[in-house]
Amino acid sequence: MSLAEVFEKHPERRYIEFGGKGGLGKTTLSAATAYWLAKKGYKVLVFSVDPQASLSDIFQRDIFGKGAVEIIPGLFAQEIDADKRIKEYQDEIRQKILDMYGLSKVPDEVERYIQAAAAEPAMEESAIFDQVVDIVVKGDYDYYIYDLVPLGHALYYLSMATVYDQWIDKITKLRQEMEEYSKVVAIMQRKKELEEDKILRELQEIRYRINTSSSILTDREKTAFFFVIIPEEMAILDTEKAAKLFAKYKVPISGYVVNRVLPAELEHQNIPEYLRYRLEMQKKHLATIKEKFGHQVLAYVPEFERDITGLDMIHRVAEVLFGKIE
Amino acid sequence: MSEEKVKGFRGFLDSVIEFLYGMAGHDMTRFALKTRGSMEHLFILITMGDMLGVPILPPYYSLRILPYVVPQIATWKRRMLRERDLTDALA
Repeated sequence: MSLAEVFEKHPERRYIEFGGKGGLGKTTLSAATAYWLAKKGYKVLVFSVDPQASLSDIFQRDIFGKGAVEIIPGLFAQEIDADKRIKEYQDEIRQKILDMYGLSKVPDEVERYIQAAAAEPAMEESAIFDQVVDIVVKGDYDYYIYDLVPLGHALYYLSMATVYDQWIDKITKLRQEMEEYSKVVAIMQRKKELEEDKILRELQEIRYRINTSSSILTDREKTAFFFVIIPEEMAILDTEKAAKLFAKYKVPISGYVVNRVLPAELEHQNIPEYLRYRLEMQKKHLATIKEKFGHQVLAYVPEFERDITGLDMIHRVAEVLFGKIE
Repeated sequence: MSEEKVKGFRGFLDSVIEFLYGMAGHDMTRFALKTRGSMEHLFILITMGDMLGVPILPPYYSLRILPYVVPQIATWKRRMLRERDLTDALA
């Protein structure tokens, strides 16, 4: 089974994710996959949910915080600027308060809260994941390629989503109970109309957003999740652990891509000791990878002689991953 | 007993019943409102808790709720930070 076959066999999988430890080449593979799909005539968005995004580097264009930027026909890239998003969001909340109560200035205490909330550590991730909902729900693209944050963050987010979901469930029940009491009062005081509970609506909206952003990660139907590994002991061990965790959160793993493989033909050339040892080491780990993930490995990507930046290099990686591009 | 008197007595009885109902109704209304008030405070605590240093709902989303609870925030903080509620004795 090759990577291209996975795409051909499952055209319904429109959310593509490359996951793995930081620094293994997730961004490279995301960009190359987006490139290949765009060349096949699809409309693709590759976007980064990592605060330390590197799509700008690989495409050699500054796209940070600029929305979706067209790189080549059909290939759009987007890096979400979390800080900017948080500022806009804070302003929306302030404006809403001013409009609702006809105030000219947000009360000090409330203002302090708005400022403090933005300083919370999880704020950045929440803001980015929340924006992903807007991007995906619009449905402007055939394929969405997530350049995922390092594993820890994604798992943290998934686990939080489950907790929040149950939590909002409870709060919503409380809110509904409150409504019962309001009804009693309304009947007693012979009021006809009961004010609609806007907070309840807001809670339902929050839950919808949290669930949408986490379901993109876990939807068996529409998601293809690929693990990136390199032939090194630590990476293999970590990936095994991560794979178990992902299984727990029901993230469907579609396969593995092995990156940074030293070209085998080097062995028959005149190479320094150092490189020979590296080759030996990789051989051993490649055997381990075959044994552990064998049938699920979809592609082996060689270590290139230079950085993967710019379209020419991306083209080369894409050809390794998917075969000749017309 | 004359017709007049019966009518008068009926009227008086109706008034008493009306009055008693009103009392009971008022009491029920007051109770319902009080319960709802307590729940309201509980609700703000679990959505806006980080104002008191009790983080519960993720702050990103609690901001969405904030505009709706602005008027209650002052009274709620007073109540949460007070040892006992004076009106507890009256309920």
